[in-house]
Amino acid sequence: MKKILFCSILLISIIIAAGCKSKSESEATESSEEASVESSEELSGDIVMWHSFTQGPRLESIQKTADQFMKDHPKVNIKIETFSWNDFYTKWTTGLNSGNVPDISTALPNQVIEMVNSDALIPLNDTIDKIGKDKFSSNALDEAKVQDNYFSIPLYSHAQVMWVRTDLLEKYNLEVPKTWDQLYEASKKMKEDGVYGVSVPMGTNDFMATRFLNFYVRSAGGSLLTKDYKADLTSKIAQDGIKYWIKMYEEISPKDSLNFNVLQQATLFYQGKTAFDFNSGFHIGGVQANSPQLLNSIEAYPIPKVNESDPDYGIETSNVPLVIWKNSKHADVAKAFLEKLFEEGNYLEFLDATPVGMLPTIDNITDNPAYKENEIRKQFEHAEEVITKAVKEGTAIGYENGPSIQAGIMTNRHIIEEMFQDIISNGTDPMEAAKKAEMKLNDIFETVAVN
Amino acid sequence: MLIKKFDYARWLFVMPAIIVVGLLFVYPFLSSIYFSFTTKNLLSPNYQFVGLDNYRKVLADPDFWNSFFNSLKWTFFSLAGQVLVGFILALAIHRIKRFKWLYRTLLIIPWAFPTIVIAFSWQWILNGVYGYLPNLIVKLGLMNNPPAFFTDSTWAFVCLVGINIWFGAPLIMVNVLSALQTVPQEQFEAARIDGASSWQVFRFITLPHIRVVIGLLVVLRTIWIFNNFDIVYLLTGGGPSNATTTLPIFAYNLGWGTQLLGRSSAVTVLLFLFLLTICLLYFYIIRKWEKESK
Repeated sequence: MKKILFCSILLISIIIAAGCKSKSESEATESSEEASVESSEELSGDIVMWHSFTQGPRLESIQKTADQFMKDHPKVNIKIETFSWNDFYTKWTTGLNSGNVPDISTALPNQVIEMVNSDALIPLNDTIDKIGKDKFSSNALDEAKVQDNYFSIPLYSHAQVMWVRTDLLEKYNLEVPKTWDQLYEASKKMKEDGVYGVSVPMGTNDFMATRFLNFYVRSAGGSLLTKDYKADLTSKIAQDGIKYWIKMYEEISPKDSLNFNVLQQATLFYQGKTAFDFNSGFHIGGVQANSPQLLNSIEAYPIPKVNESDPDYGIETSNVPLVIWKNSKHADVAKAFLEKLFEEGNYLEFLDATPVGMLPTIDNITDNPAYKENEIRKQFEHAEEVITKAVKEGTAIGYENGPSIQAGIMTNRHIIEEMFQDIISNGTDPMEAAKKAEMKLNDIFETVAVN
Repeated sequence: MLIKKFDYARWLFVMPAIIVVGLLFVYPFLSSIYFSFTTKNLLSPNYQFVGLDNYRKVLADPDFWNSFFNSLKWTFFSLAGQVLVGFILALAIHRIKRFKWLYRTLLIIPWAFPTIVIAFSWQWILNGVYGYLPNLIVKLGLMNNPPAFFTDSTWAFVCLVGINIWFGAPLIMVNVLSALQTVPQEQFEAARIDGASSWQVFRFITLPHIRVVIGLLVVLRTIWIFNNFDIVYLLTGGGPSNATTTLPIFAYNLGWGTQLLGRSSAVTVLLFLFLLTICLLYFYIIRKWEKESK
């Protein structure tokens, strides 16, 4: 009887325990579902993203992640608008005055401080912590650090290097130039029917002449800004740089490059019209699309120096960031979407849209087999090494002494391009033209800049 | 005593037009005047009242005067070319007896194209590297190197004016042609019977009949050409070295390039005052012509 009673009690206990367990499990499941529903409910609202990834694969990659995010969060709607980088600057500066800015956007590195100065962005410390602050390169993060706040998250990096047509080098039995003088000599020899040694772009609708002058000045350890953030175009190295590019323009470059912007300049290389050019790994995709027969004949090398023995000072790196705008009514949604873009699968797919062109800003991605398997990366392993080294050493133009609004103004106002055009078209003395440009820049610094 | 009742219906019908004009014209106009007295810039939310400081800086800026004289040259040569070419084309088509409609349609085509299409087409035709025309010149052995149409200051200006004449002459042609068709034929016949020469017929019959139309066209085209932004901006961006920078481009560069919206507004106010003076002068002359013809 005792046995029957014991067995009965045991059975009842087991049933009760099982019941309790299944109840607690189902409660847990329910609460998890509730939480999931709640989290879906938490994220709701329409957000607008502006980006400048106008090429097909990058555009598709971002759209795919947005579609997935909207599927995960049915109450969220993401509207994506694209603009060229040049249009983007006008778009946000004018939009800021009318309140017509997006929730989330890409930005050029040297514009972020201008945005911060305009009180247009929100800090992203919490998002960075969620993605993992340690994963990011500190150089890239610090470009938008104001006091203890980070106002942007670097999405990808690239750096300016020298691109060379190796078939033409072989044809003319030339070595890869390591100094600016060697580049001049090689370019002169390689100028043949339909091919220019190098093109020197100076259009006032872009900052290409500023970039080229910065190459020369940085290669000797100089800067276009003084330590107290004044324009410096009259230093010896800046004057040497100005005269060097004027000589290159007059003797080697196509005359129309006086009005070239970045795309017109790059198109010449894509179509095999220039033997040397300066750009990032994006040149690979451009050549592949325009002249695939030349893909085996291009290679990247470090930017020349004044003297071969000069140390590597680092030249121009672009850590292209994402920012979230203060006007956003759904900053939580924008931040969650930003995190989604950095999820490994999405991020890898995004980088694969332009292999070697976009280098990761977070560690360990390059060790991922899926990253290494890409055919273009395998073919351009040397180029990727050169660019990766350049990324680590360089900064945005004018950021050698730290981020500043003056660097953005100097790059985006095209006054240096006007200076070059003045020297070429009007025969103005380089020093006189440089003084005039310096005055103009410093005048704007005083009017607009708040340090 | 009659008490005039307020007519609400009248105001109700007019109100939409007043609101639209107010939003699209009066507000931007007044805000431009207001900003021209401030340090307003696109990047900073705060600005200060500085009185006439922006005007002083603009008038002391050599680039402003360079742009002003470029605008005068651009307007004068474009207008003269458009009127001359348009007038000649209209006279020629007026004399054609057969297929007049075909010629008229063909000649109006440039006017029908959007500016962006025109700008990119001409850029492609005149491009110093790929351009059809420069390469043709080299292939024909006329020059050793492709001419730099948009890189040389003088050539860039000449090309711009030429393209603007090609673009704007059809409008003049169509309007002059319409005016020519209103001239009474019996006056021509009477003149010929009296032994008048072709020049005399043109001077004393044709011209007096169409000069008011031409005058109005000149007023409108002066304003349009002086204020023209798109074709210059798309073709040269004001370069090389500001050789083709007209006042609207200068104002744009100040406002959106350097973000100095206050100073840019001062330029636009000066531009408005100048055009207003020119238009008043034109209207004075046209009114005089109208009185004479009565």
